[in-house]
Amino acid sequence: MFAKEMLKQSLPLLILCGIGGVVAGSTLGVMTDLLENIPGLIVIIPAVIAMRGNISTTFGSRLGSAYHLGIINAEHIWNEELKQNVIGSLVLSFLVSITIGILAYVTTIVFFDISPNPVKIIIIVLIAGVISGAILTMLTIVIIFAVFKRGYDPDNITGPALATFGDIITMLSIFGSAIIVEVIL
Amino acid sequence: MIYSWKKIVRYGLPLLTLCILIELFAGQILQSGQNALLKIPIYLISIPVINGVGGNIGCILGARLASGLHVGYINLDIRDKKMHENFLTSLLMGIITYAVLAILIYYIALFSRITMSIGLIEFVFVLLVVGTLLICVVTVISIFTAFLSFKYGKDPDDFIAPVVTTIGDSLGIIFLFLLIGVA
Repeated sequence: MFAKEMLKQSLPLLILCGIGGVVAGSTLGVMTDLLENIPGLIVIIPAVIAMRGNISTTFGSRLGSAYHLGIINAEHIWNEELKQNVIGSLVLSFLVSITIGILAYVTTIVFFDISPNPVKIIIIVLIAGVISGAILTMLTIVIIFAVFKRGYDPDNITGPALATFGDIITMLSIFGSAIIVEVIL
Repeated sequence: MIYSWKKIVRYGLPLLTLCILIELFAGQILQSGQNALLKIPIYLISIPVINGVGGNIGCILGARLASGLHVGYINLDIRDKKMHENFLTSLLMGIITYAVLAILIYYIALFSRITMSIGLIEFVFVLLVVGTLLICVVTVISIFTAFLSFKYGKDPDDFIAPVVTTIGDSLGIIFLFLLIGVA
């Protein structure tokens, strides 16, 4: 009884999120040349994906709570409370991205004989972190807005939606910024 | 006003920094097996899937346990029947999900002409073993995090997701490497 309900409600979402993971993984599969040419690039990938997941899901669940508390609603979505949340998420993305870049460089030198180009690694993380942060923040607001209009509970939607799209957008951002940095530097 | 960006940054930064330290450890393990992964890219494609599914199942189980503990239909007892039922269902869901996605990954790799020296059965087997190991560990971590945080008067919802996803990411990569004999 109990198990049946859990399977029925969670399994489709799990598989859907997994398909998001397959797309993210395929992006990684296309990046093999870049991974070979930029030592240290593979090191940052789990950290950037985790940072993105953490920041955007807490952003989404705070907006969900704000909705239940009546602080934001469909008519007044873009108010000062939302602005503070957006700024907070973007500042966190910026600070944590720089930290990832520096720590990835230092730990790679300590653990391996290869020394990655620190400027390259830090700039790749920074561009990928901030761009994916901006896209996912906007996407979250759009999803929340659409969910409000239909009168659904945002808590049931934002989590799985961000889990599915978050990894794909983050991987594509890393891919894009690695190409840009490889061409320019 | 309830929210201020300074507070969001101040509360978020310490936990996030700890998370990325552990994730960078996962990244260094990846680096150590990079050459092997580049030779068999189908495993490279599988990594976000292995970690994503493991993390999601740990979080679903954790959220259910947290609600159960808050409401009172799950007791703080390792022998709690409802908790066992949740654990077994998570394991079953995980095995089904990994099987479906493994087949999907295999055919995507096949159609995009990625170099493969591995058959469908072998690949699905590898992913199922890695997945089952990961889910067993992740669910146990999830149960412990939920029970311990609840016991000490904290809200399990604040701890389960970061703890489960961060530890799960490192373990997923380690289990995969152990099974395919890299590192």
